[in-house]
Amino acid sequence: MSSCPRRFPVLDLAFFAPVMAGGLLAGGSSGLLSVYIVGMRIPFLGVCVSHAALAGAVFGALAGLEGQMLLWPTLVGAMVTAILLGLANPHRINMDANVVLGLLFSVTMGLAFLGIGMLAVVGKSDNDVRSLLWGSLNYCRWADVVLMLAASAAMLAFVLLFHKEMRAILFSRQDAAAAGIHATAVWTGFLVLTAVLMTVNFQTVGGLMIYSLITNPAAAAFQLVKGSGRAMALASLLGAVSGLGGFLLSAVTDLPSGAVIVLMSSFLVAVAVLWARLRGG
Amino acid sequence: MNKAAIHVRNLSVRAGRRSILSVSDLSIEQNECVGILGANGSGKSTLLRTCNGMQHHVTGRVSVLGLQLASMSFRRLAALRRAIGYVPQLLPARGEIPLTLREVIAIGRTGMAGLLRPLGREDWHRVDQWIDRLGLSSLAGQGYGTVSGGEQRKTLIAKAMVQEPRILLLDEPTANLDPGWRERIVEIIQSLHATGSLTVVLVCHELEVLPPCCRRVVILDQGEVVADGSPELVLTGSRIESVYGPGLSVWHQGGRHVVVPAEVSRA
Repeated sequence: MSSCPRRFPVLDLAFFAPVMAGGLLAGGSSGLLSVYIVGMRIPFLGVCVSHAALAGAVFGALAGLEGQMLLWPTLVGAMVTAILLGLANPHRINMDANVVLGLLFSVTMGLAFLGIGMLAVVGKSDNDVRSLLWGSLNYCRWADVVLMLAASAAMLAFVLLFHKEMRAILFSRQDAAAAGIHATAVWTGFLVLTAVLMTVNFQTVGGLMIYSLITNPAAAAFQLVKGSGRAMALASLLGAVSGLGGFLLSAVTDLPSGAVIVLMSSFLVAVAVLWARLRGG
Repeated sequence: MNKAAIHVRNLSVRAGRRSILSVSDLSIEQNECVGILGANGSGKSTLLRTCNGMQHHVTGRVSVLGLQLASMSFRRLAALRRAIGYVPQLLPARGEIPLTLREVIAIGRTGMAGLLRPLGREDWHRVDQWIDRLGLSSLAGQGYGTVSGGEQRKTLIAKAMVQEPRILLLDEPTANLDPGWRERIVEIIQSLHATGSLTVVLVCHELEVLPPCCRRVVILDQGEVVADGSPELVLTGSRIESVYGPGLSVWHQGGRHVVVPAEVSRA
């Protein structure tokens, strides 16, 4: 996680408005995802998708793509992995979803590092690849915000359109299929959009922040509310509060934004657990 | 004679090279309540999963509500599954499930409503009817992971019933429940069968789980049907000993059945 580009006791709103919008969007959208990722017990998904995206970016660079054009092979890498994960029905292949994630992670990581090695052999720099996947919130610009907004809107639309199917899958993918629900198709569609959203967020706000925001908001929300709709609303809110609040706190205290956001989202989980215990939950 | 709700012919299910189920001919009539019994690993759950098209590596002819499973497209299979209420043996046990009991029960209406259509007022009315009928009203807003195993079982039965199924497949619906809860579940099965034109196939280990409406028992042993008939004729002491081991006897009274140690029976 990189540090702030400049010191700012008072925020320069013109410069930091897109940063705040980026933090708000990344936090809110990751919070929404977290309900399904924690509910399905697949927090390793973030690491797997990031390495699949990295592999895509590396082979894109090897194919001669540069700059923002690298976003396309990056998205392809993440989406192919999401499709494979969605089609791998744990009950059919007799393998837990986390084991499948582990297998996909090892393959994509191997491909990514093979590609990085090949970049060195052919004398190409891997700077573009690294910057594409390991962005920093402090460098988020309006163009990034627009991309994040589009990906977040697509995810929100999907979750609203397929809310009842996703609720069934959240309960049990096998039970959903047994009840005549098109579980594999809906779950694969969700994973593909998740891969797109995560990849877009990775390049604008960085991996460390996303890893924490796809688990912590739901972990906190599940302590405080019952029901999928309330959990989604609260997790999105907590994610947004972590993203924006963490950035503002980092600006005031002159500390690294990513670290403050991660710690703030973890602090919110601790508060939620304590609150639930005090309530007798 | 009714048209068969389920008809199985020359069925074979394999796990690798091992045959785990082999049934030459089995027919379950509409509105019948049938108990499937057998020791662990005898193929009971496999037979149930085969009947709703969830089992893989299946050969032979399986017909459900007059439709051949083998020749069905995924879309038609999904449509057929909506007519089959299935209560699995294992309960989803994740504490992270953020769903209320009402939401879990509503899953039963999800397939019926169709893609891109939210559940309507009629769907939620059905859900609330079954919540009320199974005595879950005070728990409807509770998290699924926070209620007892018996209440989770009742929730899954309600989820299956809001589908308005023509066939109800119950896989050990009283597993891990105390005798009080077991009796309540048996009463529920009895009332469900009595009030509608519902075919019930009930897999269980304990004979106590068979409700009085269950007038036919099929016993599986090592994947094969070894007995098929009324409980009083099929569940004999020698049969129970051959399936579950020596030293056991069986009592029948008022349509209910129980396995006891042989010395208790002799006393």
